[in-house]
Amino acid sequence: MTTSGPLLYVRSRTVPRTVAALAATAALAVWAAHELDAYLDPDRRVPVIALAPLFAAAVIGTSLYTASEELDRTAVRPWWRRRLVHLLTLTALAAALLPWAVLGHASFFGPSAMIRNTLGCTGLTAAAAALLGARLSWLPVFGYVSAVYLGASALRGNSVPLWAWLVQPAAERGAWVVALVAFGVGGVLYVLRGARAEGARD
Amino acid sequence: MTLIAAQDHAHGQEPGQQAHDNAPSAPPPRASRRPRRASRHPLRAEFLRGFAPWTGVALFLAIAVAMAGTSAQWQGGWAETRGRLHTTAVLLGVPLALAAGCRQGGRERRRRTEELMATAVRGTLARFLAAALPVACWAVAGYVVAAALTLLATALRATGDRPDLVAPLTDAVALASAVLVGHVVGRRLPWRLTPPLLAVAGYVVLGFVTYDSTGSLRHLTPIGDTSDIDVPVWWQPLVMAVWTGGLAAAAVLAYAARRRFTALLPLAAAMAAGTLLVQTGDGLWHTNPVARRQVCDTSTTPQICVNARYEDLLPQVTAALADLTGRLDGVQNLPVRFTDLPGEPGPDEVRLPITTPIGWTVVRGRLASPRQFAWEAGMALYDRAECDTAVDPSVARVDEAVQHYLAPNPLAGDFDKLEAEGSEADRAELRDRLEARARLREMGGEERRAWLSAYFATARACDPSEVPAL
Repeated sequence: MTTSGPLLYVRSRTVPRTVAALAATAALAVWAAHELDAYLDPDRRVPVIALAPLFAAAVIGTSLYTASEELDRTAVRPWWRRRLVHLLTLTALAAALLPWAVLGHASFFGPSAMIRNTLGCTGLTAAAAALLGARLSWLPVFGYVSAVYLGASALRGNSVPLWAWLVQPAAERGAWVVALVAFGVGGVLYVLRGARAEGARD
Repeated sequence: MTLIAAQDHAHGQEPGQQAHDNAPSAPPPRASRRPRRASRHPLRAEFLRGFAPWTGVALFLAIAVAMAGTSAQWQGGWAETRGRLHTTAVLLGVPLALAAGCRQGGRERRRRTEELMATAVRGTLARFLAAALPVACWAVAGYVVAAALTLLATALRATGDRPDLVAPLTDAVALASAVLVGHVVGRRLPWRLTPPLLAVAGYVVLGFVTYDSTGSLRHLTPIGDTSDIDVPVWWQPLVMAVWTGGLAAAAVLAYAARRRFTALLPLAAAMAAGTLLVQTGDGLWHTNPVARRQVCDTSTTPQICVNARYEDLLPQVTAALADLTGRLDGVQNLPVRFTDLPGEPGPDEVRLPITTPIGWTVVRGRLASPRQFAWEAGMALYDRAECDTAVDPSVARVDEAVQHYLAPNPLAGDFDKLEAEGSEADRAELRDRLEARARLREMGGEERRAWLSAYFATARACDPSEVPAL
């Protein structure tokens, strides 16, 4: 019995496990939003809005790892289409699952803010996978998100929405632009170059 | 790792590489170079190569950037610095340290050197520590550098009180413990997603325990209480270090020791420390004795006092209020002093405009806006907030005129301009107000002092007929 190419690709990138992890993340986010009594005040959703996309992005980022990088490069068919479909499908799945945790209050910290953060974090992770390697791709975005989450509440100024896009209300247009640019640049970088080759010693 | 590292060094390779990459093309070591290379300790490579130094850099950057971003809110106050550094180190550093340790723990699996390591002469514990301690040391080093820079920044703008050097030590123990626990988890679950999962779990646990700030379990997190006027009892950092360190030591021993029951000893110590922390509860913290004192300038009327935590601010505050106190010279019925202590002010006292939390009125050891501060101090001299009815417009006009004479609102000009462009009623109100200000200004010195004395006798009165008219 022969197994089709896409199925082998899905298996080699541990996509089933990744999908399960994304579903678990969404479930955890729903639980956390409920435990934080977020229906009282949309501001209380900020931890969920910041952390759930971070973890979803880490899950997606680590799924970009390939165990046979050198072998992959010898393939006849171009890889970019598979990479594109891989990244877009998982991002779309995360962006569809996570907003269930924060329904309502669309202009503050509602579903659209969750989608924006998912796109932005995934873009950063994809860029990190292309530059650092997929297994460690969660590290830069993790440090960035933590620092913004802790520091942004204390800061005021015109440039804050640009770099603290993660904790801005959904109505803030500059934050959307930054997140989309991050997703675009990171996605293109990964789709064109693939995850950086990692030796077994790293 | 240590065991084959000595051989690795002869080739100048990273330890472990030899296990699967035993390059036959490597030139044989020359006899003349061997003694110098062999004298290097095998642990040296573990400390200087691989992931460990990056952990230190990452931790330093995360903490330093987060501290620098919020520097206006802690620089200049030792208690604020301690609280902010502590929160940042724990909330940001502990998840990062867990993730770093976890990643290092999965190293043997990634390199496929697990079986090779199992054949080594040294015991599991020695091999475990050789791999885990460098990351822990680098994490602590990154934190120590960030903490030193933070303390230095505050020392340059300090306004009183003294630094707390014990709290950073507790944080360092917590970070090292997090690395070790992460390493154990990484060894047990060598999976790509374990490090970020563990970091997020650390976040969620720390976040939830802090969020529920009433539960007694919060005394177990290294975050503890971060109130600026409270300080811990002297043994709290020690017990906290035993709690976090004991848990980590128990995890390490249970995983790697030859006699696993030895893990019970640190576990028992950690449990005892944890019980002590939970049982003592709020008793772990008491008000800083310094915060209950104030230093006063008694040469003015009213006297000016600032909290002893900010004693060096007194000259700035006195200078900012110099115009106000100068105009009140010789006036009767004034409060005795501006006071700056926790709790309600006494009957003859009024509260100094708040200087805390720093970052608003006081920024980096300086009064941000002396005119605004003087206006707020003038506003504190009368109080009709407890009247049952709304303040009569004529009384409000008199109050405003007195405020304007003592220390005008920095924005008064803008408000006047807005009203001058407003409706007919606004313009009439503005006219009356300007007239009241002019009448007070044009009084002779003696007449004005007498009028002000009569006015301040009714500073809390609600009946409009009691307040002298202008």
